Amino acid sequence: MDILKLENVGYRYKDANLNDYVLSDINYSFSLGKCYAIKGKSGSGKSTLLSLISGLERPSKGKIYYNNKDLGKIDLDKFRNTNIGIIFQSFNLLPHLNAIENIILSMDISGIKVKNKKEYAIKLLKDVGLTKDHGERRILRLSGGEQQRVAIARSLSYNPDIIIADEPTGNLDEETENEIIEIFKDLAHNQNKCVIIVTHSNNVAHKVDVVLELEKENKSIKKSKRI
Amino acid sequence: MYIFKNALISIWRNKGRNILIGVIILVITIASTVSLSILNASNKLISSYEEKNEIIGSITMNRESLMQNFDPNDREQGKENLKEQFSNIEEITVDNIKNYADSNYVKSYYYIESLGLNSSNIEKATSESINDRKGPMMENQESQAAFTLTGYSSIESMKEFIEGSYKITEGEISTDFTSNNCIINKELATLNDLSVGDKIVLVNPNNTLLTYEFTITGIFEDNSDVNAPSMDMFSNSVNNIITNTTALEKIYNDDTTLRNQITPTFILKNKAAISKFEKELQDKGLSEYLTLTTNLNQVESSIESISNVKTFAITFLVITLIIGSIVLFVINMINIRERKYEIGVLRTIGMKKSLVATKFVIELLIVSLASLILGTISGSLISVPTANKLLENEINSSKQNIDEINKNFGGNMMDKPDIPKDFNIEDNNFKKGTIQKIDKINAVVDIKVILELLIIGIVLTLISSLAAVITIQRFSPLTILKERG
Ligand SMILES: Nc1ncnc2c1ncn2[C@@H]1O[C@H](COP(=O)(O)OP(=O)(O)O)[C@@H](O)[C@H]1O
Ligand SMILES: [Mg+2]
Repeated sequence: MDILKLENVGYRYKDANLNDYVLSDINYSFSLGKCYAIKGKSGSGKSTLLSLISGLERPSKGKIYYNNKDLGKIDLDKFRNTNIGIIFQSFNLLPHLNAIENIILSMDISGIKVKNKKEYAIKLLKDVGLTKDHGERRILRLSGGEQQRVAIARSLSYNPDIIIADEPTGNLDEETENEIIEIFKDLAHNQNKCVIIVTHSNNVAHKVDVVLELEKENKSIKKSKRI
Repeated sequence: MYIFKNALISIWRNKGRNILIGVIILVITIASTVSLSILNASNKLISSYEEKNEIIGSITMNRESLMQNFDPNDREQGKENLKEQFSNIEEITVDNIKNYADSNYVKSYYYIESLGLNSSNIEKATSESINDRKGPMMENQESQAAFTLTGYSSIESMKEFIEGSYKITEGEISTDFTSNNCIINKELATLNDLSVGDKIVLVNPNNTLLTYEFTITGIFEDNSDVNAPSMDMFSNSVNNIITNTTALEKIYNDDTTLRNQITPTFILKNKAAISKFEKELQDKGLSEYLTLTTNLNQVESSIESISNVKTFAITFLVITLIIGSIVLFVINMINIRERKYEIGVLRTIGMKKSLVATKFVIELLIVSLASLILGTISGSLISVPTANKLLENEINSSKQNIDEINKNFGGNMMDKPDIPKDFNIEDNNFKKGTIQKIDKINAVVDIKVILELLIIGIVLTLISSLAAVITIQRFSPLTILKERG
């Protein structure tokens, strides 16, 4: 089922020249239960595309539909804290909180009803391979891989349909990368989520279901692999 | 609710930053408390001054209008005309005064009358000046009668005793303002071997058959040399016999050809009443050559120094608040820059702009409230002694005053229950109420100051949170997250 549909999406930064579109005429539909990778040269607009999908920016042209609802017409804050989980290369956790508190804050913001938020946060951490002890540590006392797992656990805390990740393994070694990718694949295949990963890594690209190529020249998206 | 909890965690886990903000607010609060307290104290001082230093008006010669008719081309004739005009000015009578005083602008009034009389059982003191022997010119009227009998209408009218130029050394001033009692100068008493309880007999200079017996209740000392130095053998008041207006008027009524000089004093309600009362006096037929003179300048100059303190306090407060707000705004600006990452994360995971702003404002509010409370307490500890120092002189001088005045009157006027109402003891200058009012200023940092501070503090906090709110409003989470990555 198509959970996310891009229709003639184009984007131009406000301070750029009139015809200087970073993206133009992107048409694609993403489905639940699949793991996607978006590849492309640096500066081809991958991060920009993700920010449009996540509702952090609005497209200059075209439309994005979530569950057939126009993103331009819904509350994007609500969309971000309920329907989509966002993971960045630099993890983006709050350093003055510990892992469990980061996760609970996210649940609080989304307003999701959970009986015991702390227990649930610990369970989420276990699902991504971390212990309660990790959870009680301040963020900066965790390794990069551990921080990325916390970020994933956080994005899962309100059970969104879509998970997007901008170079989530960019700062990690290959072994850790593989473990993280396994988590993403599990989410797509066993929990029926739509997972979209922006990556440079061929290793990652080989493991996902669909690889999409963003071309800098014609600024469009091209399917390059299907398993 | 979770916003509040998170704000608390944020404050606790970012102690360094919050202590810095707290200390700045603390300093501003202390400075504001001190200046507010001083402001408060000076306001109270001013109103107590105004209450104490009443606007007093008396009727005096309008010399300017008198001189207007002087012809400079014919000086001799001019002088003659002046004299004639002067002698034609109608004298003020007690009835006039009562009529004038019956006014909405007059709080109370009193008057002094004086008559020239002789005596059959005591001798006048004749003085000679050492360095300038007075010619016959100066001695005209008084030389006809040996003594001046001065009648006061109330305790309040006895200015010399209140101000301390006269002082009772023996006996006291009777509070019976109707019978024939008197007080006399110490020098006169010595010359005639008189003491308290003795009787003197006064005689009408025009008719020796008219005699009046007065009982001496007190003997006073004249210290007016301090203000008006004189090289005379005797003090100015040596032949002055002091009594009440009722006793004096009995003598005058027996012979109205006696020259009765009446000096009224009107205590006006307030500054604004001056010009209105002046107008009213004219309407009531006061001679154009007489005018109302008040102590307004004196009252205002006594307030001047405290007004300066007040202006200083206001200036200081305003400067503190302006600088304080700017510093807080800048600190918050820097603070927010540092916290952009946090804003970015919160916005990315879907926290509304308004909630992010609320969280920041709550954090700031908690820190400022804590500093405000601490600052008010320590500011009070500093300002209470400061403000009290300011008031100390005032409090002491008025306390001293009342003791002094009581001594001058030769008893404790305040403790005398039988002073008749119309002597205006309630309104007079040395009433106890004034002193109690000044004592109360001790508690300078009162609820009013604390409320004012709280309002100022909250306004300051909101002003400085503006930095946060503006930043959050104009903020694109993506840019910040990119900067970080
Ligand atoms: N805030 C911005 N303003 C203007 N241009 C930008 C901004 N951010 C990115 N760009 C431009 O948009 C293009 C795509 O950037 P980005 O999406 O970050 O690429 P990628 O993530 O694929 O490396 C780049 O050419 C970059 O210079
Ligand atoms: Mg990128």
